[in-house]
Amino acid sequence: MHLTREEEKIYDGELGWAYQVSMRILVKLGDLYGADNLIPIESAHISGVSYKTIGDATIDFLEALAGSDVRASVTATTNPAGIDYENAIFTSLSGDIIEKQKRIINLYAKMGIKTSLTCTPYYIKAPRCGSHLSWAESSAVVYANSIIGAWTNREGGPSALASALIGKTPNYGMHKPENRRATALVKVEAELKDESDYGALGIYLGKILKDKIPLIQGLPSNEEGCLKQMGAAMATSGMVSMFHGKRNSIRQVREMETINIEDRDLREAREGLSISPEKPDLIFFGCPHCSLNELKQIAEAIKGKKVRNDVKLWVCTSRFIRNKAKEYVDVIESSGGQVICDTCAVVTWLRDLNVKTLMTNSAKTAYYAPSLNGVKVVFSPIIECINVACQR
Amino acid sequence: MVLTLTLKGRSIVPGRVRGTALVSTKPISFLGGVDANTGTIIERDHDLYGKSIKNVILCFPHGRGSTVGSFVLYRLAKSGLAPKAIINSIADPVVVVGAIIANIPMVDKIDIEMIANGNVIEVDGGEGIVRVFRGEQACI
Repeated sequence: MHLTREEEKIYDGELGWAYQVSMRILVKLGDLYGADNLIPIESAHISGVSYKTIGDATIDFLEALAGSDVRASVTATTNPAGIDYENAIFTSLSGDIIEKQKRIINLYAKMGIKTSLTCTPYYIKAPRCGSHLSWAESSAVVYANSIIGAWTNREGGPSALASALIGKTPNYGMHKPENRRATALVKVEAELKDESDYGALGIYLGKILKDKIPLIQGLPSNEEGCLKQMGAAMATSGMVSMFHGKRNSIRQVREMETINIEDRDLREAREGLSISPEKPDLIFFGCPHCSLNELKQIAEAIKGKKVRNDVKLWVCTSRFIRNKAKEYVDVIESSGGQVICDTCAVVTWLRDLNVKTLMTNSAKTAYYAPSLNGVKVVFSPIIECINVACQR
Repeated sequence: MVLTLTLKGRSIVPGRVRGTALVSTKPISFLGGVDANTGTIIERDHDLYGKSIKNVILCFPHGRGSTVGSFVLYRLAKSGLAPKAIINSIADPVVVVGAIIANIPMVDKIDIEMIANGNVIEVDGGEGIVRVFRGEQACI
């Protein structure tokens, strides 16, 4: 890979260890994947913020970086943490957890990284179509490439952090137009009824697509929330970075491997996600974090109802969206739900908060929660989740 | 100990180690798929479910899922629970970055079907070479 004189100086350590290690990560990736050079990015989005997921060793790594006086050189945002410090339910967690999570957030802040603490940074400020990014958070990667039309590889947490500090990313993969074309044709013949069906489809596709880019035909709706669920799920069961929902040229379509999705495929995916016959003690929406529109949908569905005393209902979003959605937040909270910021069910300590069975409309959460959180899962669309939450 | 096979792949992280192969046909998400406190595969339905990845030469097709996986690999390495080396068919950036910061020798572009569970193998991460032996247990 060709480096400029400035970049070489950083590589050789003239700006100190932290920039050097960052440059070495980027050059290594660039060399492996055939990049010619580094290109400037508009923003970086960093995963690896929850103490639950990254643990003590990574705190040491972040401390070493932050201790060497580095600053992000482009706009950089962060994924959710494990705690909403403004919500009393998290005060029951151990003092050690509460302190260490705070320390992680402060370390990112010290490096000049915005502690936006959301997996949907695009709701705060959408990147420009065609801009180059270095984003971790697999669901945001798919969203940026497929729905916004910005260009990013599926970065690991540390490589997005390295890019935030250097302000550049190696020019390979999704940054090259020739690599953004569809490489598999998916024909959806199954009936997709709601957002959870889109999620189940995403899980199914992720498993068979590997790193292919699907062109998906036959989606009944291009509603943003549904596509977000589908993309997040694809990136969970696979390493997909992008999908196409629009038509490609006929010639290209003819040459592609075709995958037909029938009702029984979708049913199989749904059954694999819903593994508990038990009554949930937590109903959770907001994986990925809710948009303003999703808060509105939930508020409309719950209006005039009351969440039962023996079940919790969480709606997770960014603080930015919560502040914009006061009217919906009031409806949800007066029905007995909680609108929680800066975290979500997947990256917090569910068992410590006495949750044993989780019900969610998110296929991504349904996929992760049994192993990552040790809880049982019921997977259903928003409407059904709210009916269960408010059943008398 | 008899050398039965030499496979040439691509160097990702240098380092020479010998150990016992633990081979999976399924992709791995280090976040959610591996218990970071024990080094055990905890993803239900995974063909390595319940197996420890500590000190083995972990062979799997590619990473998948969460981008936090890089940090999980680092965390495993710092706790002495990481694999001795990683062999992939196609390396994804999440696993690559994890192996770089955790300093785990890694090679990809290897046909992992040529390696069987329990084979003694030697990985030369710098040269991108994997040697498969038969006839004797590895000294771990």
